Amino acid sequence: MSSIRRGRDISAPSVWWQELFGENGLQKWVFYIPVVFFIMFFAMPMLLTVVWSVFERTMFWMEPGFTLFAYENFFTSARAENYVFSMLHSAVAATVSFAIGFPIAVFVRRRVAQAAQHRVILLFILPFMISELVRVFAMRPVLGRNGVLNNLLIDIGIITEPMTVILFSPLGVVIGDVMSFLPFMIFAGFLALEAVQNYIFEVSDDLGTGAVRLFKDIIIPLAAPGIFAGSVFIFVNAMGLALVPTILGGPGAVNAGLIANQAIVALDFPLAMAISTIMILTLVLLLYIGHRLFDLTKVLEPIS
Amino acid sequence: MYDNFANPWTIRLKWLYLLGVVFALMCPVFYTIYISFNEHGFGARIYDFTFDWYRIVLGDKLLVVSIKWTLYLAISAVATTIPMALLSAKFYKRSRHKVAFVALMMSPLFVPADIMGSSLLVFFKNLSGFFTFLSEVLGIGWLEGWFDLGFLTALIGQIIYTHPYAFVVILITMSRYRTQQTEAARACGASAWQAFWQVEFPQIRVGVFSSCAFVTILSFNEAVRTGLLKGGFDTFSNVLVAQMLNIGMSGESYAMAGIMSIVSMIVIGSVLIYTFLRAEHIQRKARAMAEPVMSE
Repeated sequence: MSSIRRGRDISAPSVWWQELFGENGLQKWVFYIPVVFFIMFFAMPMLLTVVWSVFERTMFWMEPGFTLFAYENFFTSARAENYVFSMLHSAVAATVSFAIGFPIAVFVRRRVAQAAQHRVILLFILPFMISELVRVFAMRPVLGRNGVLNNLLIDIGIITEPMTVILFSPLGVVIGDVMSFLPFMIFAGFLALEAVQNYIFEVSDDLGTGAVRLFKDIIIPLAAPGIFAGSVFIFVNAMGLALVPTILGGPGAVNAGLIANQAIVALDFPLAMAISTIMILTLVLLLYIGHRLFDLTKVLEPIS
Repeated sequence: MYDNFANPWTIRLKWLYLLGVVFALMCPVFYTIYISFNEHGFGARIYDFTFDWYRIVLGDKLLVVSIKWTLYLAISAVATTIPMALLSAKFYKRSRHKVAFVALMMSPLFVPADIMGSSLLVFFKNLSGFFTFLSEVLGIGWLEGWFDLGFLTALIGQIIYTHPYAFVVILITMSRYRTQQTEAARACGASAWQAFWQVEFPQIRVGVFSSCAFVTILSFNEAVRTGLLKGGFDTFSNVLVAQMLNIGMSGESYAMAGIMSIVSMIVIGSVLIYTFLRAEHIQRKARAMAEPVMSE
């Protein structure tokens, strides 16, 4: 037994290919493939975005140099204003998603039998797994002038004229963002609450804690990492997904993603990279603040 | 202790709210499918059921080619993303720098599609230029054309997009696996691969197959990154986007949206049903084994 170590008879001579492909050879390094891949094709392009944003624009491409023209172009035009507006819309979308989605996460965690909790949460996988494109596109026949919602409200007698403010407007964009990203708030909230031991809820129930106090003083602080992660996800994606304002926003509706897209179509690559840089910096700043305040690793506690 | 049955209406109302939200999220999709079967399209007062729009879509050679490309891309994405997600999950378990590793693996979730697509587009254009330069300097012809926009770049974009989802699903399944079983297998003389394939994999198989389904669906549905990185071919989603933006919402657009939704629902529905049935089966088996032996 002493000569058997880690499943291999070490007294037996090993051939070269066993050395090469064995556990101390390439097999050890194979686990680094995802890390290398993500550094090469995700981290590096994201970091290089900052470098390309200060390159000089040429007719169809860009050339190495140092100029802040793209940033000047961004901050001194309507694009900066549009960026701020898209931040505002995205913040509203994240807040509405929290208001609608988080109570569901709390309900499932607290009131549904332990064995059935994951199955109930899985109900929200189905809408999430249907193409974002289709879900956003499908809002048009629902929210439109002759759409289902207007017809229903007219038939019931709540309105007499079709509402036009719910499509091709900022409200339409917020509705589209909420419909697209709501499941994320439920998943992140539930995941964070899953890390909270049941006895905490039981003790607070036994002590007769009121619903509002329980929510404000116990649930919110404990689920803060999940709420924050879900909110940042919705906020950033609502700012960056060009599809929603393009399909539901009507003329003039833009967000950061659409501004970057328009810059690429206009072959202004440094500008597109400057917008991407601003977007990435916004994201990094938000995640840093969130991590310092709430320790975002807690969200992954149940699965680690 | 809170009593779920003290006021059953409170619970019923909460369930109603939950199901109402699921219904609200699904309603537009179902309505789109409903319209796609109407001969007169959207907005018509009369409804005549027809498969004609689907026949037109599936008879269009351009669309059939785009479906083929979408399938190739989805199969390649599954074939590369799932082994990578498995490796990532294994690496995560043994890593001492878990926070940094998770941050790297999960960050793509937080970068919007258009921003990531734009960055990768410029990255690949630069990389392609670099390889062309390298091929000229070194006189090695086969280096030319590497990372030109095309299938490979679209695939890389999709791997980055789908990997975090597959990683999380596999990690959740792996969290229920006891590593002592691997240690026991190794102590019995199994190699690392044998311990994984014969002991660990059968227990995480459900998670791996579920993530295969998720990656297929995500890849099938992805439009933004692929649109920017695909080069000269079109996927089904890209054709739909182009049609919606250039022609508007026609009967064909509804049928295309219908196809995408129906395929997604069938795949995900099957996974969910299989998962539920398997969980039931395991519970039943565990209950049967736990039953005490009755003395005669």
